[in-house]
Amino acid sequence: MYVLLLDLACGAFLLAGVMVLWRRALSAIVWLFALQGLALAVLVVVLGLHQGELELIAVGAGVGALRAGLLPYLMRRALAAGGERRETQPLVNVATSLLVAAVLAMLAYAVSQPLVRLAPSPATQAVPVALTVLLVGFFVLVTRRRALSQVVGFLLIDNAVTATAFLTTNGVPLVVELGVSLDVLLAVLVLQVLTTRMRAAFGGTDLDELRELHD
Amino acid sequence: MTGSLLATASGLCVVTAAAALFVPDRIRALVAGLGTAAAGGFGVAAGVAAALGGRWSVWLPELLPLAGVRLSLDALGGVFVAVTGGVAVCTALYAIGYAREHGRVVHGVLPLFVASLLLVPAAASVSTLLVAWELMALTSLLLVLAEHAHRPEVGKAGVWYAVMTHLGFAAVLAGLALFAAHAGGESFDQLRAAQLPPAARNVVFLATLIGFASKAGIVPLHVWLPRAHPEAPSHVSALMSAAMVNMGVYGIVRVGLDLLGGGAPWWWLVTLAAGALSALYGILQAAVSSDMKRLLGYSTTENMGLVLLGVGAAGFFAVSATPVLAALALTAALLHVVNHAGFKTLLFLAAGSVLRATGVRDLDALGGLRTRMPSTTVLFAVGALCASALPPGNAFVSEWLLLQSLIHALPASGVAGAVTMPLAVGVIALSAGLAVATFVKAFGVGFLARPRGGQAERATESPATMVSGMAVAALCCAVLALAPTVVLPALTAAVSAVLAGPPAVSGQVRLQLNGVIGTISPLLIAIALGAAVALLLGALRLVANQRARRRARLWDCGAGPMTPRMEYTATSFAEPLQRVFDDVLAPESDVDVTPVKESAYLVERVRFQSRIPDRIEHRLYRPVLAATAALGRSARKLANGSVHHYLAYGFAALTGALIILAVLR
Amino acid sequence: MTALIQVILVVAGAPLLVGMMRQIRARLEGRAGAGMGQPWRDLRKLARKQPIAPEGTGWVFRLAPLLLAATAVVAAAAVPLVATDAPLDGVSDLFAVVALLALGSVALALGGLDTGTAFGGMGASREVTILALVEPTILVSVFALSVRAGSTNLAAIVGSVAENPWAVLSPVSLLAAAALAIVTIAETGRIPVDNPSTHLELTMIHEAMVLEYAGPDLALIEWASAARLSVLLGLLASLFTPWGIAGADVGPLALLVACLALVVKVAVLGALLAAGEVFMAKLRLFRVPELLAGSFLMALLAVAASFFLP
Repeated sequence: MYVLLLDLACGAFLLAGVMVLWRRALSAIVWLFALQGLALAVLVVVLGLHQGELELIAVGAGVGALRAGLLPYLMRRALAAGGERRETQPLVNVATSLLVAAVLAMLAYAVSQPLVRLAPSPATQAVPVALTVLLVGFFVLVTRRRALSQVVGFLLIDNAVTATAFLTTNGVPLVVELGVSLDVLLAVLVLQVLTTRMRAAFGGTDLDELRELHD
Repeated sequence: MTGSLLATASGLCVVTAAAALFVPDRIRALVAGLGTAAAGGFGVAAGVAAALGGRWSVWLPELLPLAGVRLSLDALGGVFVAVTGGVAVCTALYAIGYAREHGRVVHGVLPLFVASLLLVPAAASVSTLLVAWELMALTSLLLVLAEHAHRPEVGKAGVWYAVMTHLGFAAVLAGLALFAAHAGGESFDQLRAAQLPPAARNVVFLATLIGFASKAGIVPLHVWLPRAHPEAPSHVSALMSAAMVNMGVYGIVRVGLDLLGGGAPWWWLVTLAAGALSALYGILQAAVSSDMKRLLGYSTTENMGLVLLGVGAAGFFAVSATPVLAALALTAALLHVVNHAGFKTLLFLAAGSVLRATGVRDLDALGGLRTRMPSTTVLFAVGALCASALPPGNAFVSEWLLLQSLIHALPASGVAGAVTMPLAVGVIALSAGLAVATFVKAFGVGFLARPRGGQAERATESPATMVSGMAVAALCCAVLALAPTVVLPALTAAVSAVLAGPPAVSGQVRLQLNGVIGTISPLLIAIALGAAVALLLGALRLVANQRARRRARLWDCGAGPMTPRMEYTATSFAEPLQRVFDDVLAPESDVDVTPVKESAYLVERVRFQSRIPDRIEHRLYRPVLAATAALGRSARKLANGSVHHYLAYGFAALTGALIILAVLR
Repeated sequence: MTALIQVILVVAGAPLLVGMMRQIRARLEGRAGAGMGQPWRDLRKLARKQPIAPEGTGWVFRLAPLLLAATAVVAAAAVPLVATDAPLDGVSDLFAVVALLALGSVALALGGLDTGTAFGGMGASREVTILALVEPTILVSVFALSVRAGSTNLAAIVGSVAENPWAVLSPVSLLAAAALAIVTIAETGRIPVDNPSTHLELTMIHEAMVLEYAGPDLALIEWASAARLSVLLGLLASLFTPWGIAGADVGPLALLVACLALVVKVAVLGALLAAGEVFMAKLRLFRVPELLAGSFLMALLAVAASFFLP
């Protein structure tokens, strides 16, 4: 039962991550991100229940509140304020992105095998999932133009790092998790301010236009 | 037994070649065709005899100076000899009707080409292999150039072919020479026993892989193939595409698996990746090509890619200690070689039949051949069904076996395998799907509907000899499709000649995999299909209206009768695929608008042109060619016409060499 | 025996399934609908019409409907729908079934090309394009499903799921199911890939190919399309929810239960599909590759998950 729930949470976590590449509507991307946050929270709670640690369950609830609640709320507000609703022209087209994601998943599986072999358990075996999401997040950062997609890409990486931490160790101390979460929150707030400024300055959040600052 | 059969076959080839040069024009085609066909028949017999246990070897020290000729035919070579013989029988029968207007050179060289193809798998020493290989290259080059007087493109294709084939030869020569130098002898037995340092093994494998892959038309060394195949006479194309390219596969299996005995896993992953790339790239180009023979040429690249994928998987499994899967993958690859030879012979011969009747290879200008060339149409349909890997075709069986070997590779066989195999399955699936699209296009646009041009309208059926050549090939395809177990003993013997382990596939009506769970019966599937058709016909007779069919106008939206110009052409048929794979194919199109003289706003004429160039050729070869040309131009300064200068170069080189010698010694 | 039951079920039930789906759509869209039996009435009417030979068409055009229907019948006999020991098991496996259905599509595409009309060519071209792009998803999903069973034989796959029902909820199964569901939609020409009720030239795929068919030929094609839909939905049901399916050598009662379970499962799937179609629009043709790339990604992730989330 534990393994099944863990696997399901990991599957949802992975699927939500790669679906970000698929959808063009920014609102759908935010929604997927919230879903992934939820999957992460479930993952942590399942781990906590399995290990019987109340602290871990509390951390899970906190992760859920932040990543499935607060951050998507902030992003939705940014979306409501701004003009663009769609990721119209990603630098790499959607079909190719999806194929690249497939290859990235295979790569993640290949490179994480030594890590898994250190301590094989259902939790560590799911590390490739987190690594895939990390690579996908990076890929989103590289290929998507809208600032909001960039934020989501960054947050995907953060989710992946958090998931790896929980899957490989017996949980991160509460203090560390709190610190990281605050950092993330701060980063999102900064990015939101930046987005607003950009929109005020250029009328759009296409990152390629930042090049003008250089000229 | 094997030896005398092979000797008879080669002897017949030589005799036929001589006869073709001297008999009168009237009966030359007949004599050459019958002689070559007989030689092919003996080749099949020799191959089968060798595959079923009659290993034979001989050393003829007088025939070649220094090393002598060393021949040996084991089961692996036997399979390839038998395939060559079969292809030779079909093409030779066909050539009696097809090649009548060709000169004596073509008729004389063809048997020699067949002889060289029979000798390559029988070579048992490096020098013999290289001589046979070079003979094969030269004779095929002469045959490619057969029609150079009529069309200027032939010459260009010949240059590409000559350069590529000799670069390949150089790579094979370098690899095998290094191998022989380390082994201290050049017969295959000595090579097999040699202990090479790992670095030398790697170099030998890579050099021979490059050389043999260029012969097999593997991307990115395939550029000669889609040029030479369309320009050669069709029966020559068939021989090259169905028999000659196999020699590349034979070489890789012989050197990599047999002589070098496995090696590192990365060798085989490289092989597998090259195969996968060729399969995808080849079929993608075929899918958007509208030249029938070019399409078939690219399809050869695809199929050789699939074979190489199988060989790569077999090597990988063999060195990662899963012998059951290795045997299965190699069996699948060899079966695919046999199947491909069958349907590609048939398709090229049918394409030649169309070419003879209409004079065009362009699918866009064909159509409507169904009523004008009924036999050719049916035979091409059989070939197309086989080539598109659908049941009840023969390629379906070999691709099924290949897929089975790949999907049973579990993570247990290593991370590399676990990552590679799903991707390989995806590649095979996509290439199979695109092959379906390609051959639906080739058959549907080329043969069905109404003629799109005058030449197609005036087409007539080919003579009986040509049809009989195609029919033999079609019959082989049918046997291979319905009863693949017929060739299994030979393939199993060939596989066990290079890989240890139990036979991978067994069974009579059903193919039963050994070691992994999987069964299939192509024959029973075909019977079930036939029964279902009969059942439906019966049901229709019971419930449907039995009146005769009423002729009706096509739905033309009320705009008057449909003209052939409104039909979908091959180009338009492939347009969605071209759009989907836009980034890979990079099609070029230019629109040329000519305004009326008086006003820039009134358009007199709009010309639209669209081409899909071979991107690898553009990106990879053009820069190399340009660099070589620039080097040549700069070297031209040395040749300024003064005899004194030229003599001085020679003198300087001689003294320079002597000085180096003096210093070094 | 089971083959006969399956074929009879599919033959009789396929038009009813289509009728049910149309009825659901009609009700959801606020129409009265023609009733579940309408496809059967249509078939009867078509079968009684005089057959037609459009000008310039030949044997390919005439054979295509027969071959299409024959592949559907063979697939119905080969797929384990009511019992795991389908009689053609060992003769054909999942790869073979997929290839057989593709053969049917190819036959119809050639029939469309044989008419020589722009519609026929257009439909054929689009059909084979989608067919080619669908293939990788199918085979890689088959790979994912076969990892646990160790074989691509349908009986083995269905049997292994039936033994361990919880396995259905594993990510491998769910991802493969999603991928195969998308593929099923593409193969059977439903929204969002193709619209079965459109006759607008820019959007047609299947309908463009069959535009020249009439009378008994059209009846055969309509029936075959319905049969393919039911076989594919039945296959999905058997692969992922083999509840109630009969094992080997069971009595008539178990077979009856299995038949009822199959009918219920396929009806539920059909209803879901129909309801989904009401809320979705057809994709642009050149957005379809994105959908299929997504399904391929899911299939590949299913294989990957079968390695790291066993």
